[in-house]
Amino acid sequence: MKQKVPAPTGTNAQSGQVCSIPRAKRHKKSIYKLAALLESYSFVAPAYTVFLVFIFIPVAWAFYLSLFDYSILTVKNPDYVGLRNYVMLLRDSVFRVATWNTIRYTAGTVPARIVLGLAFAILLDQKGLRGKNLLRTCYFLPVTISMVAASIIWSLVFNAREVGLANKILALLGMAPKGWLADSKLAMTAVVIMSIWSELGYCMTVYLAGLQGIPLEFYEAADIDGASGWHKIWCITIPLLKPTTFFLLVTQIIGSFQVFTQTYVMTGGGPGYSTTTLINLLYTKGFSEFRMGYAGALAVVLFIGLLLTSWAMRRIFRAEEIIY
Amino acid sequence: MNRGRRRRNRDVVSKIVMYVILIPGAIAMITPLLWMISTSLAPDSVIVSYRLIPSRITFANYVKAWEFPRVFDEAVSMGTFFKNSLIVTILITAPALIIDSLAGYILARRRIPGVNLLFYLALATLMIPFYVIAIPLFLIVRRLGWLDTYQGLIVPFLASGFGVFMFKQFFQTIPQDLEDAARVDGCSALRIYASIMLPLAKPVIATMAIFKAMWSWNMFFWPLLIINDIRVKTLPVALTMFRGLNVTQWGMLCAGMTIATLPILILYLSMQNMFEKGIVMGALKG
Repeated sequence: MKQKVPAPTGTNAQSGQVCSIPRAKRHKKSIYKLAALLESYSFVAPAYTVFLVFIFIPVAWAFYLSLFDYSILTVKNPDYVGLRNYVMLLRDSVFRVATWNTIRYTAGTVPARIVLGLAFAILLDQKGLRGKNLLRTCYFLPVTISMVAASIIWSLVFNAREVGLANKILALLGMAPKGWLADSKLAMTAVVIMSIWSELGYCMTVYLAGLQGIPLEFYEAADIDGASGWHKIWCITIPLLKPTTFFLLVTQIIGSFQVFTQTYVMTGGGPGYSTTTLINLLYTKGFSEFRMGYAGALAVVLFIGLLLTSWAMRRIFRAEEIIY
Repeated sequence: MNRGRRRRNRDVVSKIVMYVILIPGAIAMITPLLWMISTSLAPDSVIVSYRLIPSRITFANYVKAWEFPRVFDEAVSMGTFFKNSLIVTILITAPALIIDSLAGYILARRRIPGVNLLFYLALATLMIPFYVIAIPLFLIVRRLGWLDTYQGLIVPFLASGFGVFMFKQFFQTIPQDLEDAARVDGCSALRIYASIMLPLAKPVIATMAIFKAMWSWNMFFWPLLIINDIRVKTLPVALTMFRGLNVTQWGMLCAGMTIATLPILILYLSMQNMFEKGIVMGALKG
């Protein structure tokens, strides 16, 4: 496919002698080639125009913006403040709380989703299981529901009054009702439970797809050796699913660091700052207080943090010599 | 024989364990949804229903929920939000599929100068979280005068690196001979793309369409930023207006949520496999 394209100028002069193709025809051919080239570029132009205007320029702008004291409310030109936004950010105790909350949220959701997703996928993948499709549908259903609607429903489930479903269940178990979203100690737990629920089916379905890729011969060989079910899961299934696990870990961690909808809808970041995540803070700073430069600095810090995280995870997994 | 029996016992045990775990798990997963539907059907006097089917069924909550947005603007009902979401979803999904597949076709098939750079740029867009660009994007869209408009919701998402990448990967698997034959017959690149490549790409287009449509339908953060006008609000943003009802009118609140989720649920149940494929495809996004 790699053709050597003759340089458009210079070669033409010699080509009359070297090449058997008459000059006029050759000329026509190079015009043809140019037209094909232009056509190719015009095919990619719409996509890359969108990328340039709505992704690449904004990224550069985000870095630039973080160096200014910029508010869309004031008419005056933004002041250049150097790294002051970053210094303020790192000193801001709310930023620290938000980072901690985001880490707590990630630690609460990601391992649970992955472990439960894997467990349910393995259980559902058993041969001869009746009603498999119906069960799968039940697990996947929450994934299809809009996060806003799900969050609103779950804020009813975790309603602090006795009518909330969570408190009703506690009452059935003979326990006292809890404050849930109104209790700063429990609010994050409630958000985490809801978030596990909403994405569990997704992790499970990704694992189910991964399980289809494991050759049956491995299990047959293990059967001949008399391996137990646990043994097979431990020594065949889990190691061979490592690439899937890696993908889920990376995407889930990156996604969890950007959690916003649940906390915005269910708690608004409260009570106090107990469920304020990094993106909640970014939203408040940027679009309630209109401190765009400060919010820009937050965005840049988050971006670099995420890049470092995914780079580090790639290193860790490569260290274990995983081929994918 | 002894061994066979033991094995059968083990199968029975594992089956019981499976049903003891799997069925309660599945019930736990759908309980919030069943509870929502059940409460939405219960009359106001009940407030919250804990039965699968409430003792008295009424659809009054649905009528009230549908008309609820009129509190804010006489001209607006839930229908307005459905219409807005539908417009945005269709006008993102359809053009984006064409734009992504055109670029993916070139990246897969033409050795034009800079093609590798273009490919890496498409991959680079995947590394950039939306929240990082949200503020500058807001400023750009504001400068374009697109706040509170459909184009503000649509145009920034008319191409995605993910889509370009998926189409490129697919088009690479189509044998080169097919294209060469068409070219010998004098087909233009556009012809080859439209009448050879696209028909072959139908499965990718279908899953991609579902992925994109779901994504646009559920998009929340961006409309929250740029839409203030209630007449342009899409469904997810509009739903937040219902939050205030959670003190008293649970039936109406649940009816509103049911109205909002039911169409997608029905769509999902009717083309389950394609849906799952479309959503899981996002797993490749790293």
